[in-house]
Amino acid sequence: MSSIINNDILSPISSKRTRKEKLFKICGLSAIIFALSMLIILFITIFSKGYSAFYQTRIKLNINFNEELIDPTGAREITTLNTADYSKLISQSLFKFLNIDKNHPKSSEIKSLISYNSFLTLRDRVLNDPLIIGKTVKINLIASDDVDQMIKGNISLNISEENRKISDFQIEAINKLKSDGAILTVFNKTLFTKSDSREPEVSGVLGAIIGSFYCLFVAVCISVPIGVFAAIFLQEFAKKNKITDFIEININNLAAVPSIVFGLLGLSVFINFFHLPRSSPIVGGLVLALMSLPTIVIVTRASLLAVPDTIRDGAIALGASKMQAIFNQVLPLATPGICTGVIIALARALGETAPLLMIGMIAFIPDTPIAITDPATALPAQIFMWADHPERAFVERTSAAILILLSFLIVMNATAIYIRHKFEKKW
Amino acid sequence: MRQLYILDTNLRRNGKHMAEEQIIPISKFNKLKKSTSKKVTISVQNITVSYNGKIAVDNISMNINQNEVTALIGPSGCGKSTFIRCLNRMNDVIENCTIEGKIILNGINIYNPEVDIVKLRTNIGMVFQKPNPFPKSIYDNIIYAPKLHGLVSNKSESDDLVEKSLTEAGLFNEVKDRLNDSGTSLSGGQQQRLCIARAIAINPSVILMDEPCSALDPIASAIIEELIDTLKKKITIIIVTHNMQQAARVSEKTAFFHLGKLIEFSDTSTIFTNPKQKRTLGYITGRFG
Repeated sequence: MSSIINNDILSPISSKRTRKEKLFKICGLSAIIFALSMLIILFITIFSKGYSAFYQTRIKLNINFNEELIDPTGAREITTLNTADYSKLISQSLFKFLNIDKNHPKSSEIKSLISYNSFLTLRDRVLNDPLIIGKTVKINLIASDDVDQMIKGNISLNISEENRKISDFQIEAINKLKSDGAILTVFNKTLFTKSDSREPEVSGVLGAIIGSFYCLFVAVCISVPIGVFAAIFLQEFAKKNKITDFIEININNLAAVPSIVFGLLGLSVFINFFHLPRSSPIVGGLVLALMSLPTIVIVTRASLLAVPDTIRDGAIALGASKMQAIFNQVLPLATPGICTGVIIALARALGETAPLLMIGMIAFIPDTPIAITDPATALPAQIFMWADHPERAFVERTSAAILILLSFLIVMNATAIYIRHKFEKKW
Repeated sequence: MRQLYILDTNLRRNGKHMAEEQIIPISKFNKLKKSTSKKVTISVQNITVSYNGKIAVDNISMNINQNEVTALIGPSGCGKSTFIRCLNRMNDVIENCTIEGKIILNGINIYNPEVDIVKLRTNIGMVFQKPNPFPKSIYDNIIYAPKLHGLVSNKSESDDLVEKSLTEAGLFNEVKDRLNDSGTSLSGGQQQRLCIARAIAINPSVILMDEPCSALDPIASAIIEELIDTLKKKITIIIVTHNMQQAARVSEKTAFFHLGKLIEFSDTSTIFTNPKQKRTLGYITGRFG
């Protein structure tokens, strides 16, 4: 008998069991490694494609603010200063620098080295300070996207000229500018100070960031009070019966509704029925509010549920009414959890593109929105649109915009984690 | 001839509830009545509590004397906690809980719909099984209820009340230097005394204690027991306990509950030395429960 027991202890069954446990551990570990490596690949790809968009090529030129070209009469009238041909100033300066005759057959190729919108820079300088007229000033002008890409090494010079975005003549000019130290690489401020543009070199995400911010602002103002109070009522005050069960099931279902459906709802209700302006952050915010409402309700209810009943009993036994007990004692304890949930719901809303598609926020909007009723776009929508452009320069800007969006999301989620760790009470 | 007093409610309900031990000799009953020369604070009359139709407390009547400690003992699930929660209407917040009968406090039935439940609960405080200080400062724990009921109007009054309550609860010297620390940072026994201080801050005439020492070690329990002894000069105390030695030490009257019924209610010394019912004897000698 005793020998059987001894055999049992040393039997291969137990080693089989250990093997199973080891196998399970290896499976789990490899799943984590796989997920992490995918994440790392994603970040490396985006970063390697996007980091170059954070700097920009500029061409330093001596611009002669020729009075004869700008304001021959000397009257300095705003209309004259506004409509003067500043592009000519730039091309004159370029031709002078490169020793090229302005009637050279390829002179237009040289003109296109500088961003088309650069005349605006000169115009603004003159309008700000008309005394500049007649002087020669060194100005760093934004190079065109093709020059920028060539400097960044994104254009292969080995392929034949007709298949290249940049001609041999232009390359020669660029090399001359480079050897004379006229080509500079600076931090790409434009990316953060300008909105969308057809010219990649002067396009930025400011409009999209403001649009996203307005959308989130509207969404917070609507979904947080409604969601939190609905949850408090459902969790603490409503009687448990079939109606509240039905509501609870439907809120849970609502959280799983595809976001495009919320976009359709926004289109038909807010735009077609209430006639709110199309493409505006107010509609975007309303749609995102509806979308994050179920999540906020669910999270708030869970946070309230996590507050032990002894706290409610304690307050009630001291003569607090149910409402006082909940608002004075229970809600403050649930607040960190609610905040965390709200931030995570909003982070999700920030990254949402599909509902914005339906309400016209995916559109080319070069203006920076001022009010919440102005046409605007949002960061994910901007990424979606830039990803559609064929220009090489937009590829890096797409990745850069993704990096910006990701950094916002990381900041929001980090805040959520911080709040949870800092303010969460333990019992 | 042996006169019998039969708890009339058992007859009214149904015959099978009439067990031998529920028949109390009327002479005993009279004696019991005589011994209650003290003023009755709470008079419980035929209280029946049921959850979803399931009876948890079955037709209980008892008188609770002023400035005495009344202990409720009995095995788990016998309805002691449910019963004690009836006394300040804490069961109101539980859904599907129905309560029949009367509880008379100072001549008023507390289950009268016109009774202000807030005033009732300021009059009858409660301390729970698990210490449940709010996760706020010690000061805020004490001052929460007085502020809620408008008992204090300025900072110096608040300070005085906090000091007075903590002193009465025997906690002031231990925490006077850290009134702004969280109530949850205290030890279990201190937390429980904080809860008692919190309850007496609004000057109740009765305090209900639902197993106040069950989560505490013997030393902390002894401190609470001493505190109960001091408090009873001012306040009527009803205490639920699983610890029979504790009931014997702190209480004047003891009620033995079993299966939702009040089996025996009498002077503590009688219950523990000369119980009239077989079930009481069985319980206090550890044969069941």
